[in-house]
Amino acid sequence: MMMHLEDILINPLLRAILGLCLMGVVFGGACVVIWFERKLSADIQQRYGPMRVGPHGLLQLVADAIKLFTKEDIIPKNADKLLFVSAPILLLGSVFLMLVAMPFGAIIINGETYVIAATEMDISVLYIEAMSAISIIGIFMVAYSANNKYSVLGAFRNFARMIGYEVPLGICIVSVAIMAGSLNIVEIAEAQSPLWFAIKQPIGFAVFFIALMADMGRLPFDQNESEEELIAGVITEYSSMRFGYVFFAEYIHLILGSMLAVLLFLGGWNLPAALTSNTILGIILPTAFFLGKVVLVILAVIMVRWAIPRYRIDQVVDLSWKRLLPLALLNLGWVIALGLLGV
Amino acid sequence: MSGIIDTSNVIYSYIPVAIILVVALVMPPITMFIVKTLSPRSRGVAKYETYESGSVPIGNARIQFDVEYYLYAIAFVLFDIEVLFLYPWATIFKGHGITGIATVEMLVFIFVVLFGYVYLLKKEALKWMK
Repeated sequence: MMMHLEDILINPLLRAILGLCLMGVVFGGACVVIWFERKLSADIQQRYGPMRVGPHGLLQLVADAIKLFTKEDIIPKNADKLLFVSAPILLLGSVFLMLVAMPFGAIIINGETYVIAATEMDISVLYIEAMSAISIIGIFMVAYSANNKYSVLGAFRNFARMIGYEVPLGICIVSVAIMAGSLNIVEIAEAQSPLWFAIKQPIGFAVFFIALMADMGRLPFDQNESEEELIAGVITEYSSMRFGYVFFAEYIHLILGSMLAVLLFLGGWNLPAALTSNTILGIILPTAFFLGKVVLVILAVIMVRWAIPRYRIDQVVDLSWKRLLPLALLNLGWVIALGLLGV
Repeated sequence: MSGIIDTSNVIYSYIPVAIILVVALVMPPITMFIVKTLSPRSRGVAKYETYESGSVPIGNARIQFDVEYYLYAIAFVLFDIEVLFLYPWATIFKGHGITGIATVEMLVFIFVVLFGYVYLLKKEALKWMK
């Protein structure tokens, strides 16, 4: 029976179908996160949030989707049509390619771990970071094609911010890779079996989390949107489902980024072996544990958004180059020292 | 056990990537077609103007940006390549019996890059608009 299961799992076509299912899951997840963010932000500001459509505004998602589909798609006459049309495709493609290598949990049967992921690579961490970085180009394309002054301002700020935080983020990922001795995200997650990397390298986790927030473009780092000064920032000229795609890509990036934080620093799906020895528990518990932690990270990111005001762009650039980069290098030195001591 | 897909066969792990890439490229045009059939259409001259809070836009938004922005981007490329060099080094750091020499080499490298970092800081190249 075991061999049979492995035969199924090794088939790349079936894996691709699994990947498509995960795409659906993430799309649904993004809808839920949007609703949840509206409710949570309302709660923080002592409002009710969406209440009219369905119980507690649960059907608001459906209403929003219908609205996006029935709005007229406007392409401004000064816009570069080809870039304008292809930019959302690039953004969506970047998050979906990121998703392919991302494990969504694991099933443990008789002590064997089967990872729920569309594919597994030797270099998945590098791959995920590279795919995530494509979104920089996507956002710049969105703004440049629209030929709107607010958009272009937002895009220049976005570019300065994203490349500033790419470096500390990369150094933190390298630190994790040194400790795990691998660039495979599954092996990194499993290397945290007794102790999470967040405990072994607390500075690294702090830097990674801040850089990740900046990378996902979440407030206090959403200079590309900063709606109080730049209307809607880079997506000012977008309407209808094109706007929807840019918006969705942002939220899918939020979900995948939170998963990355859990996989790299917060222990992934690792549980004590005694808990997963039972077959049914082994199927349910690791994935549930993993996704539970992902939800907690998303909650934290959303709450930070509604608690801290936006930084000015020069403060953001200073923070990355003058604070986070030295701290990330310090963390790298700490990890090298631990590695030399054989910890 | 962690490797389910036989990672020695590289093609196998990239077939799902190709399939999902195709889906991600095909999906938006299909949705935009649905939007076109569902949504109402109306004509108007002002509608296709660039939005600028109600005033008529003057000139083009595709400006030539400050040259210091370019310097900043070059500085980023330097550090990003430094990080790229760290990636292969990270995987051989442990368990290959060359931990000592690898550490010394990388520390020398990081030290040299740090010199550049301090120079850039003094030149104020890592600053947003002086």
